[in-house]
Amino acid sequence: MDIYSILFWFLSAMAVGSALGVILSRNPVNSVMFLILTFFAISGHYIIMNAQFLAVVNIIVYAGAIMVLFLFVIMLMNLNADVEPQKGMMIQLAGVISGGTLFLVILMGLTTAKSELIDTKSSDIGLISNLGKVLFTKFALPFEISSVLFLSAMIGAVVIGKKEHIPASEKAEIV
Amino acid sequence: MTAIIATTVFGIIMMFTGLFVDNKKTVSSIAAVLFVALLGINIMELSDATGPALRSMTLSLLGTADNTNGAFPQLLFNNMLRIDKMSMWFGTAMTACTALYILLIGKEFRKVGTHVAEYFALIFFILCGLYILTAYNSMLMLFIGIEIMSIPQYVLAGSDKRNLKSSEASLKYFLMGAFSTGILLMGITLLYGATRTFNVTEMVPMLHSESLNPLAISGIVFIMVALGFKVSAAPMHTWTPDVYDGTPTAFTAFMATIVKAGVFFAFLRLFHVSFGNISEHWLMILAIVTALTLLIGNVTAVYQQSVKRMLAYSSIAQAGFMLFSVLAVSSNIAWNGIILYGVAYSVATIGVFAVLVKMKDYTYDGFNGLAKKNPLLAFVTTIFLFSLAGIPLTGGFMAKYYVLLAVMHQGNMMWLVIFALLMAAISVYYYFRVIIAMYFKQGDPELTSEVTMGDQVLLIATTIIVILLGVMPHWFLMPA
Amino acid sequence: MHLLLLTADQNTPFNYFPVALQLVIAIGFVAVMMGATHLLGPKRRTKDKLVNFESGIPSVGNARQPMGIKYFLVAILFVLFDVEVIFFYPYAVNFRFLGAEGFKEVVLFVAFFFCGFLYIVKKGALDWED
Repeated sequence: MDIYSILFWFLSAMAVGSALGVILSRNPVNSVMFLILTFFAISGHYIIMNAQFLAVVNIIVYAGAIMVLFLFVIMLMNLNADVEPQKGMMIQLAGVISGGTLFLVILMGLTTAKSELIDTKSSDIGLISNLGKVLFTKFALPFEISSVLFLSAMIGAVVIGKKEHIPASEKAEIV
Repeated sequence: MTAIIATTVFGIIMMFTGLFVDNKKTVSSIAAVLFVALLGINIMELSDATGPALRSMTLSLLGTADNTNGAFPQLLFNNMLRIDKMSMWFGTAMTACTALYILLIGKEFRKVGTHVAEYFALIFFILCGLYILTAYNSMLMLFIGIEIMSIPQYVLAGSDKRNLKSSEASLKYFLMGAFSTGILLMGITLLYGATRTFNVTEMVPMLHSESLNPLAISGIVFIMVALGFKVSAAPMHTWTPDVYDGTPTAFTAFMATIVKAGVFFAFLRLFHVSFGNISEHWLMILAIVTALTLLIGNVTAVYQQSVKRMLAYSSIAQAGFMLFSVLAVSSNIAWNGIILYGVAYSVATIGVFAVLVKMKDYTYDGFNGLAKKNPLLAFVTTIFLFSLAGIPLTGGFMAKYYVLLAVMHQGNMMWLVIFALLMAAISVYYYFRVIIAMYFKQGDPELTSEVTMGDQVLLIATTIIVILLGVMPHWFLMPA
Repeated sequence: MHLLLLTADQNTPFNYFPVALQLVIAIGFVAVMMGATHLLGPKRRTKDKLVNFESGIPSVGNARQPMGIKYFLVAILFVLFDVEVIFFYPYAVNFRFLGAEGFKEVVLFVAFFFCGFLYIVKKGALDWED
């Protein structure tokens, strides 16, 4: 058992454990904290796979920025009342059975899959310079087009999030 | 490809129009002009006379060397896009539908909220996603195209902020949509693991029937589930009624028609080009999905009391018919089938919604006696509903005929075709309920706004298109 | 120690060994300190001790107030521009390699974002008082 395997199993256990914590904990703030832990574990996986840029971006964007957004959303809600509806036993059972079946099928599929295409250790493909070379040459179009995505997200933030000032003249027209 | 850039630029122009032009009528007029201009650009790019020059000009503007001399098919930007005649034809047809939609329903945007210019900008961005979906040649572009189409839709669904149902629709759509996008990404990842390429055509030799990698087959099923969600195929349809019902009616008309047809084109392209050789692995799953979609869509639509909700279920049922074009892997009329179905369904549904936004009461009873109050509205609605039900001499009939014929050519799916015909018969019931309410029941329906001269001309023109689609369908198909 | 020196020049996961070491020490220090104070400190659980401390005055109202949507708007716009900046990092590393072609691409990308930024500022999405 070399150091890679030890780290891999440790990080995997951490990722799966904290992912379970996300869905099992009753308090939504705890869920977010568990999610951050999951992201850290996955970043650890990226580092083992020598994808250092992804690891750093995962921490900065997901564990940093997006999780802060999650916390904001939770703070927007009213946390005092225990409004979470209690699901019936049958629904829980149905969820477990259908989810478990999917899990088993995927597990069987993946364990019988040919995995010789995947090389985890000796690859330099995830290093930032290699990633940049590919991103700005071969994948230049997706890179540029993604800015349209950002523009629509900006419009969405303004349209949904900005307080509307309705001039008195138009109020009559709308109502 | 010029169209992709043009629609992005137009979207940005609309963003800034909202900042500098206060009058909402002016904003709507500018938007209408831009949409017609976009249609013009599409037609120019499609035509043999002006297309190559236009494409070369755009490429040189971008500083990219043009190595195809503007001829079809064009492989552009390191094989990220593959623009051929079929994708251009579909893109142009959908742009024409959008222009029609803007002219018919665009002025209703003013009633939704204050950010009118932004709504138009978002629709331009959705069209950008649609053009990418017609021409993608890489899984990455498929993903980005679907995202560019989805995110503006989440915003449009929640644009009526004073209405709780609109916010609910937006939140529901966003959560479910984000989840299905995750499934799509998972599928693409698994497929990449099996084939080691994102390229739609390059992965074909990696997928053999006899030695198929389990990674690939699970990837295909994941992608099927995710795309099935986007086109609201059962059992991934559960979001559709609530979202279509809660979204402001003016935007539901767009989400249920053009967007859906666009995703179907992408669906067809991926499953025919990339997975066509291994169809025996997924055809049966998709056939069951199709049967379920037809059953749930049509049977549940019967029980609805609101016309808007009925149209949401009807859009699920129509998705079942469009799935037939994906099922017809070995048929060469499947592509024309989806173009014809997309146009016929979009035009008829936009027409019905154009009438629906004018109604105050969305229930069936709200339509009582419309034939007496406004005979023209009642008449055009009847023709549109005929088309949706698939009555001969309307576009809907020819479209259904095409997609069912494509599957019949294949030979092994007769049971599904017969089932679909049965379901089409059920659909007649709920479409005709509206017609019966309009013509044979007494009532005084209230209209929210006056039906102007322009509305009448446009509605009659739409009716003529619907009938032409049924009588002269070859005018709308790509010349061979 | 020799492990560190051996791998210092290559880009391998072992470059992160010092980071991991620091992480372990930092977390370990905090954990030990928290555990130690918990174990060593005296415990007096009276009602007054368990009440929230609010500058010595009696606490008023509830801490779990829904906060303004304005924070959220700024935060979501921050995330968008945060992602934009992330894209500069791989570009900066390959600045020489990519040359004029890459520069054009990045300028186009930034131009899109600048349009969005102008829109946000003009629309007043960043105005705090309204």
